[in-house]
Amino acid sequence: MPGGMDLKNEVFQSSTCALCGACLDWCPYIANMEDHLVMRFDCNVGEGRCYAVCPRTYADWQAIGDRYLPDTPRNIEIGPYFNVFRVKAAAGIKGQQDGGTVSNLVKTIMEDELAQAVLLTGSEDHVTPEPFLAVDIDDIEKAAGSRFLASPGLRKIIEAQANKVQKLAVVGRPCQIQALRKMDFNRRPDKPPLDLITIGLFCMWSLGWDFNEYLQKNFPGEKILSLGIPQHGFVVKTDKGEHILPLDEVKKFNKAGCGYCLDMTSELADISVGAFEAEKGWNTVIVRSGKGQELLDKAVEKDYLICADYPEEELNRLKGASIGKKNRNLNNIQAAFDKGVKPFIDLNSEMYAQVRKLAEGMVK
Amino acid sequence: MEWMITADEPGRTYLMQGNEAIARGALEAGIRFAAAYPGSPSSEILAMLGHVAEKMDLYAEWSTNETCALEACLGASFARVRSLCIMKQNGLLVVGDALHSASLSGVKGGLVLVVADDPSAHSSTNEFDSRHQARSAGLPMLEPANMQEAKDMVKWGYELSEQLQQLVMVRTVTRINHGRSSVSLGELPKEKPDPVTIGEWDRMVAINWFKDAQIAKIDQAKSIFETSPFNEYKGPEEPDMIIVTCGTGWLYSSEAVEALGLRDRIGILKIGTTYPLPEDFIVKHLLKTKKVLVIEEVDPFLEQNIAGIIAYHPELQVELLGRYGGKAMPRNGELNPDIVRNTLARLTGTAFTGPETAVIPPEEAVALPARELTFCAGCPHRASFFLLKQTLRIQEGQGVVMGDIGCYTMGGQRAGHYLYNFLCCMGGGINAAEGMGQLTRFGFKQPVLALAGDSTFFHSCLPGLVNAKYHDSNMLFVVLDNSATAMTGFQPHPGIGQTAMGKAAEPISIKKVAEAIGCPVTVADPFDISGTTSKVYDLLKQPGLKVLILKQECATLVVRKREKPRVWVDQELCRGDDCGCGRFCSRIWGCPGNIWDYEAGKAKIDEVVCVGCGVCISLCPAGAIKMEGGGACG
Repeated sequence: MPGGMDLKNEVFQSSTCALCGACLDWCPYIANMEDHLVMRFDCNVGEGRCYAVCPRTYADWQAIGDRYLPDTPRNIEIGPYFNVFRVKAAAGIKGQQDGGTVSNLVKTIMEDELAQAVLLTGSEDHVTPEPFLAVDIDDIEKAAGSRFLASPGLRKIIEAQANKVQKLAVVGRPCQIQALRKMDFNRRPDKPPLDLITIGLFCMWSLGWDFNEYLQKNFPGEKILSLGIPQHGFVVKTDKGEHILPLDEVKKFNKAGCGYCLDMTSELADISVGAFEAEKGWNTVIVRSGKGQELLDKAVEKDYLICADYPEEELNRLKGASIGKKNRNLNNIQAAFDKGVKPFIDLNSEMYAQVRKLAEGMVK
Repeated sequence: MEWMITADEPGRTYLMQGNEAIARGALEAGIRFAAAYPGSPSSEILAMLGHVAEKMDLYAEWSTNETCALEACLGASFARVRSLCIMKQNGLLVVGDALHSASLSGVKGGLVLVVADDPSAHSSTNEFDSRHQARSAGLPMLEPANMQEAKDMVKWGYELSEQLQQLVMVRTVTRINHGRSSVSLGELPKEKPDPVTIGEWDRMVAINWFKDAQIAKIDQAKSIFETSPFNEYKGPEEPDMIIVTCGTGWLYSSEAVEALGLRDRIGILKIGTTYPLPEDFIVKHLLKTKKVLVIEEVDPFLEQNIAGIIAYHPELQVELLGRYGGKAMPRNGELNPDIVRNTLARLTGTAFTGPETAVIPPEEAVALPARELTFCAGCPHRASFFLLKQTLRIQEGQGVVMGDIGCYTMGGQRAGHYLYNFLCCMGGGINAAEGMGQLTRFGFKQPVLALAGDSTFFHSCLPGLVNAKYHDSNMLFVVLDNSATAMTGFQPHPGIGQTAMGKAAEPISIKKVAEAIGCPVTVADPFDISGTTSKVYDLLKQPGLKVLILKQECATLVVRKREKPRVWVDQELCRGDDCGCGRFCSRIWGCPGNIWDYEAGKAKIDEVVCVGCGVCISLCPAGAIKMEGGGACG
């Protein structure tokens, strides 16, 4: 397995980095300022943890899926799953977006001590993401709502390990769930396996941190209270009122590395949570592992969550969206490879051919 | 025992350093004024005069730059006070305008300018030959060949200066300044004249009306030099070859002639008055031979002036050899006895049969690892360069860094992660940055930084800062303020609050000066690596001129004032060569205090060298470096 200088050449300099944060905070060579990741000095270690954990370096993703979700029925569109539900909180949580499902899953984890800490992402200014390790139920509130700027949250894994956290729960983006699986898959033989509960978020893209400057420039002197995409358009709520930005304008700030992502629904998570487009106030929940099902069951048992059947029509729409993202970004990956970026997936694999075929069918 | 430079013991012989001899010579001449800007190898002279200033009834100052120093001496000279001005070869170039102007106005009280050259640039960025300036400015110049002459020439320089009413230059080289030999003391004056009243119609004006007077003075100097005891010929009446030499070249030549047993074949013509040359004296001796070898330090200055004499005297039929063209002698670099002896052996076809200079037999020789210049342990510049390098990498705009002159010049090597792209002279960085920063209008996007130390800031950055501010250049000016002129040995400068005579003075704040010019100023601690990195990152995003003062006292000073804490490595925690480190402290941070324990394969601290600044503690990725005790850092 190569090292830091390879990561620099293949990921940082190719702008394929998704800013998951997995490589940060272990290594004194890799630094970030806002969302730039760089090698601040040249590393001389041939075999690096950074390269081994990165979701944008080559991995046999099918083998990783087989290791962590061995018994789950395969699905080409949204990844392995047992069940898809629509879910919402029985009682609202302050600051929640959509159904409040993630907050209640985290609350359940804490109450039942399924993990010693939960990696969450908050934001003091409601824009800049700040990952933190939550150990207290009161911490959950700090993470409610959506972060749109890419957060290098996985840097906190090092802090968790330093604090001897044995069981960790992580709420993360698809790239972060991928990195966590790689982290364990490629761990050194002398290291213990990671004991994780992973709650994956649905993600179409994240924004680069220059979006923050854009907000400051367009709404000078206004204090931002929340960002969101309730239905149409990107809504910026400030102390002076509400602004709606056209989505296409916001998408200009998409992080370049997100254009290489083939995972919309956190396909390697124990349980994935996203919006339920058909009805406001609900979430879509994909259960992918026994651990995920158990967590959901506990939250329902506690009356924190209400779980309902998922409409067939909506599932097809969800799968279509996921295939759409995969197909779009497969094209980006192909274009990058054509320009000399080192391949981090096997583009010739049967799976990707199927994705393309499905996408073609959708267009027809 | 009384210090020999002030000892009232005429005739007594002491072992003296050349710089001591120069100071002594000036005291024997009765100077009441001395001014200098520090620079190796000249720095000790004014430091010594500062120490004895009160006792010897004189005033001494470390001037803000060499121009200040020379022009201050001109002011003293106007009131008929004898003054000594001291600088190194680069300083003489700083002072070029004043020098050329002063040669027109002439002087009243004796004024001797000692300029110390640094052949091979051991403590300089270059090895300019100062003698060109004497010729260019039309000033008489003396070159001592040993420490006794250094004293005597400085003393005589005052008589000459007052006789000619002209500034007199004395050019030395490192081996004269820093070498030691016997010096016989002369008398110290019992009384020194007081400054005279400047009358309404007294003038000291540098204007071209006085060009004829200046030429008359240099011609008069030439005729005085014809009979000067500082020039002498020693050797056979019909030598195979005459060595014409000056300065240290005289010692090397004498030794070579002795060693090769050439006393009967080779003559040595020693010249102590190297500008203007005593033409008749030289012609008289060169008529004795057909071959002339010139041995001198740095440029073929003496050689080409002799070539000029030969051109004007067809009666001289000689082959002239020297450094010109690099055939007889190396074209650049410092000479030494071996080079001169080998040259002479080759030219005369003699073999050296005497004992070799101590040479280690190859089988016993141990290869020394190649070592670059580096910052001291605990040096704040290391932290500054580290954080600037990492900020520029993080910033990704590939910043361009203009370096400057001081300890931090070493930051262009590994110690400073090869940070800067440009290096010129003192004050050169800010001006180059100003120029490049103006290119934004043509689409130039890279951030531009200039570095300068605190002493350099006062020396030559003030006009540059005014220029950059007035024209609103897009640049970051970084003052590496270690509260010291460290490179030359901690001479005080205007930011320090002390004078050369040890008196307290009100320090001038760099921050206030920059703010008064209208610059936004940020002051940050280079030891706070992450905090200051963020500050630099933010500053680089802002347009226009920004000033950043990275303030932390020089480690060499701190270690004298502060109880040293103990720093050590917990090797259980150290990751060593492993991933997540790769010897980060010793390989990247590179402080001489961070060393490698080869037996354990882990880092350790050289507790003798470490000064306990604690920066490596904040950089160790494993938290393996620990500290206890000691006082807090600046």
